[in-house]
Amino acid sequence: MNLSSILLFVISKMNGQRTLNAGLHLLRGKKSGQTLTDVEYFNVKPFFAILPKLEESTYSQAIDELLDSGLIIQDEKFIKLTEEGSKRVEELPEFHFRGWDYRGREMIFFGRIALLVQTLSFLREGEFSFNPIQKDRDIQIFVKRLLERQPLTDPGFAKRIGDELKMALLKSGMSEIQKYIFACRLTGSTATAKTWDQLAAELGGGTDALRLQFIECLHRLLPIVEDSDEFPFLGKVAFGIKVNSYLTDSAMHTKRLFDQGHSMASIATIRKLKMSTIEDHVIEMAMNDKRFPVTHFVSEELIQAVVSKSQELGTKRLKLLKDEFDTLSYFELRLIMTACKEVDN
Amino acid sequence: MDLNRILLERFGYESFRPGQEEVIRHLLDKRDTIAILPTGMGKSLCYQLPGSVLEGSVLIISPLVSLMEDQAMRMRQNGEKRVVALNSFLPYSERQRIMGQLQNYKFIFISPEMLSQEAFSRKLNRIRLSLVVIDEAHCISQWGFDFRPDYLRIGDFLKLKGRPPLLALTATADEKVLNDIQHYFKMEKPIVQRHSLDRPNISYSIVEVHSSQEKTAWIKERVAQTVGPGIIYASSRKRADELAIELQLEGIAVQSYHAGKEQDDRSIIQEQFLMGDLEWICATNAFGMGVHKDDIRQVIHDHLPPTIAAYIQEVGRAGRDGQPAAASLLYMPTDEQTSSFIIQSDMPREEEIRHYHRMIGEGHSPGSASELASLTETGKRVLDYYMEHYSLEEILLKFHRLSTEKNEQLRQMVQLVTGGLCIRQRALSYFGEMGGTKPVECCSICGLETVKWLYEKSIKPSAAEKFSWDERITNLLG
Ligand SMILES: Nc1ncnc2c1ncn2[C@@H]1O[C@H](COP(=O)(O)OP(=O)(O)OP(=O)(O)O)[C@@H](O)[C@H]1O
Ligand SMILES: [Zn+2]
Repeated sequence: MNLSSILLFVISKMNGQRTLNAGLHLLRGKKSGQTLTDVEYFNVKPFFAILPKLEESTYSQAIDELLDSGLIIQDEKFIKLTEEGSKRVEELPEFHFRGWDYRGREMIFFGRIALLVQTLSFLREGEFSFNPIQKDRDIQIFVKRLLERQPLTDPGFAKRIGDELKMALLKSGMSEIQKYIFACRLTGSTATAKTWDQLAAELGGGTDALRLQFIECLHRLLPIVEDSDEFPFLGKVAFGIKVNSYLTDSAMHTKRLFDQGHSMASIATIRKLKMSTIEDHVIEMAMNDKRFPVTHFVSEELIQAVVSKSQELGTKRLKLLKDEFDTLSYFELRLIMTACKEVDN
Repeated sequence: MDLNRILLERFGYESFRPGQEEVIRHLLDKRDTIAILPTGMGKSLCYQLPGSVLEGSVLIISPLVSLMEDQAMRMRQNGEKRVVALNSFLPYSERQRIMGQLQNYKFIFISPEMLSQEAFSRKLNRIRLSLVVIDEAHCISQWGFDFRPDYLRIGDFLKLKGRPPLLALTATADEKVLNDIQHYFKMEKPIVQRHSLDRPNISYSIVEVHSSQEKTAWIKERVAQTVGPGIIYASSRKRADELAIELQLEGIAVQSYHAGKEQDDRSIIQEQFLMGDLEWICATNAFGMGVHKDDIRQVIHDHLPPTIAAYIQEVGRAGRDGQPAAASLLYMPTDEQTSSFIIQSDMPREEEIRHYHRMIGEGHSPGSASELASLTETGKRVLDYYMEHYSLEEILLKFHRLSTEKNEQLRQMVQLVTGGLCIRQRALSYFGEMGGTKPVECCSICGLETVKWLYEKSIKPSAAEKFSWDERITNLLG
């Protein structure tokens, strides 16, 4: 697994309907109306925000690789698979990301585990003084609270946590290499973690590919320990990691006003925001709520008409639909396409 | 008061290090004190001991959040539990909790911007303070790029009547900085306690070469033949990475360290170095603060540091255990230009200053304006402060002077390297010290013949045992 293979998969989903940068925005988890809509349209939620800090240059490099090896081509502005590419997609391993649920926060989860393991590892040896491997204050405070009133110096306690961790790793279904990477990123009194460079030298492959393996490994581990009686302690470590509201804060604010009965124009005035921003919020709301009242905005007949046209043309491209339904705004078309995703599946 | 007994009973040390006892006595006499002590000489004892015998709490103001947390942590590790570090990055609830019981803490570390928070300063006025300490006090000086405008607020806070004595701590201070410290902190007839910056166990060598390939070759050979642990300072991230790779190819346990690496990897590298898994670090000047490793045997400079003070500070990370250590600086004639370029690129240029000034005037936010004017972060910090206080023309003049000053400092550094005089004595005279006795292993100018220890390299068995994932976890947790 590497960036190119993930991109190839994403491109196969958006086949021919999106430009070059759509993938970048998706992987970085850009919270704009367009990206959020794409996530839903094309069923690529698992990849949302898996690489929040992805550099544009790294991204372009991965795209160039795919272009050079003839797996994708650029058709006008749009990117699509070649025949060779489609074949290759079939051979891709299955991905287990859950980007939509974690959005980069899996690293906080790992930070907590790393500090927890380090603390227990030193305390079980009776060493009370060490340099915390995690500098993040929030993580330090979280772990400190977590360990309050626990039998810290009891070696049995450390062992119990270790066993729980091993069990969870086994049960997660992650690959051997992922378990190895996970264990090698842990520090304690008897061993220090390895850097990405060191792991790359040892295991071969680039650091970016290893990081992706690691992120997927955390995305597999988290659901196993969340709310599980089997992993009581790790469950606590995972507290608050999964996104609990899929709406952005700003969209949440808009939703409250909407629920109070304000019109979009009135919300824009109250919030001193551009109309287009409020439109993005409404799309976000529709995306996250199956019962969202789309008929507040467009009539039932029009909805049906647009959906069947989209199926007939075999496209979700707004530009083409706009040509067919000139009276509808882009916003209304997006809303329909978002809300009626079910129908289309 | 029998200070030696307290030292032994409460801190477990047999004797004071030079300067400590004097500073402590001045403070117990309620005198304002400026203490100039080299890094690693035990500055914290200078307030910990008085703090533990006086009634009330000690307030310690520290410029860098990471530094102060590191210090608070080390105090806790050494058994002093009544320590707290407060800064505006703490979550609100945590801050409230600490504020509610502020008087229960003996040592309160804060960042300067806390003082401008109404609720906090009110609270502070109600508790009893035995001592106020300002760490890295040179940050008050507008002449340095370490300048922290926040430090000027400390002066306002210290106007309080009947305030406790004040201790200003710093590792470097020339006359100008000393005056600023006294003036802005409104210190009353402070006693200046200086300790020699000389580190007799460190020997200095200058190695002249003609190209960076020659530097690389010298470093490779040196590292292969001589003892570690050691730090190699390079001028850029790229060069640090390049050197690390060259050395790795020779089978040396080495990693590069710079701000371009992700935070987790930086912590890991630091820990590996402390634990002895790594023998060498190739670093930019980002490495060193808060790294407490006593047995560093060598510091090598692949480039020319911008000032003598910076050079002495980096070199001073070697040999804290008192055992012999070696500092080597590789120099080629084009280095001066390279360093000058780096220094100047950090300074805002006249057009940039004018541009920024205009945009702020037109109502742009400082953030976007500084981006548009392509200012560096330090440049912006200093400029923002100046703009509150001075006209544009005055600011330009100040920056012009600052720039001249920087060039002058670099020139002095070049002098130190090329002047052909004893390096130790020249560096000390820069800080206004007269040379005392020279150690036998002094510097490459005085002649270094006897450095046998450097070549007594023990072959370490490589502990490259490979564990599986579950063995690793068992290793750590049982
Ligand atoms: N009188 C003493 N005798 C022996 N050891 C001492 C004495 N005073 C301090 N130390 C030790 O010296 C080390 C450095 O002390 P400290 O942390 O105060 O340094 P510092 O001057 O603040 O350094 P830095 O500027 O790097 O933070 C500590 O390990 C401390 O325990
Ligand atoms: Zn000499």
